[in-house]
Amino acid sequence: MNEQPAAMHAPDLPELSAYLDGELDAGGRQRIATHLAGCATCAAHLAELQALSAGFRALPDEKLGFDLAGVIEGRLAHLPRPPAVRRRDWWSGLPVAIGAAASIAAGVFMGSTLVAGSAATAPRMAALRVFDTMPPGNLCIGLESCYVKGSVK
Amino acid sequence: MADDAESGLIARAQAGEHRAFAVLVRQYQDRVFRFILRLVGARDEAMDLTQETFMKAHQALPGWRPEAQFRTWLFRIAHNTALDVLRRRQRIEFVSFSDLPAGEEDHALPDPARQPDERLADSQSIELLERTLQELPAEHREILLLREVEDMSYTEIAATLGIAEGTVKSRIARARSAALAGYQRHTGEHRDE
Repeated sequence: MNEQPAAMHAPDLPELSAYLDGELDAGGRQRIATHLAGCATCAAHLAELQALSAGFRALPDEKLGFDLAGVIEGRLAHLPRPPAVRRRDWWSGLPVAIGAAASIAAGVFMGSTLVAGSAATAPRMAALRVFDTMPPGNLCIGLESCYVKGSVK
Repeated sequence: MADDAESGLIARAQAGEHRAFAVLVRQYQDRVFRFILRLVGARDEAMDLTQETFMKAHQALPGWRPEAQFRTWLFRIAHNTALDVLRRRQRIEFVSFSDLPAGEEDHALPDPARQPDERLADSQSIELLERTLQELPAEHREILLLREVEDMSYTEIAATLGIAEGTVKSRIARARSAALAGYQRHTGEHRDE
């Protein structure tokens, strides 16, 4: 709420509205109450909001006019019964957790033996001859490259 | 937070006891209906939607936790149910003052000599206020209903609509301003703004 002269002053509607609803803290309430005491514009606006609020509260109390509970009960009786919500105890998942942990540990162990053991040694380069231009067992077309020096012709 | 008796009913309903849920329905059916009726504006539709709200509530009941207030939880379901319909319908209805039956216009005009709160209390004014309410955007209408008719606090409204309390404060103010302007347009009063 600003403290300008009433002629230039526009009411701070959210503050007035919250004041009307009793939703301001003690400091805010005090500040608005002090302002209202000296500001005819805001006081008039608050009176309008109060009147509006009183009008809404006086709206007719509409009623459904029949017992909906009976209808709902009837509809629920024809629904398939949902499975009862079962509370799971913390230990109920223990076997699964232990199994999962054991599987992971076994996997890690097997993987580490493959990497660290003899099976993981790099093949000697000579073995790459099998990927030579001529696949093993094929007839050589006479090029020198077909023959390795010192090999049996 | 639900009171002990209500919490007991909810717990029994969660366990599958239909009779307990029926008691909750009986307790809230008129309030939910009243809220939905003023949101959608049509009685038959409001009856169907009230029923749908309770069926949805029953379906969602296993997810209800005692930390939540049952009333705000239920009204949130009602709000979503009604809003679905309003979105589908894209309802924009303007009831102009000239649409009133002949002769009713004069009666609708309040006596300017009376105080504002007195003017709003008489039956013609109430009728005009109902019309004004129906002309407001759904967002304004529902927040006014929750505050003025259901007497919810800003915290409860925030929980019902799923918005921040600061938004509740500003939205209520805007809704009130729009309602005042609408009402005064109907009555021929002018505001100096």
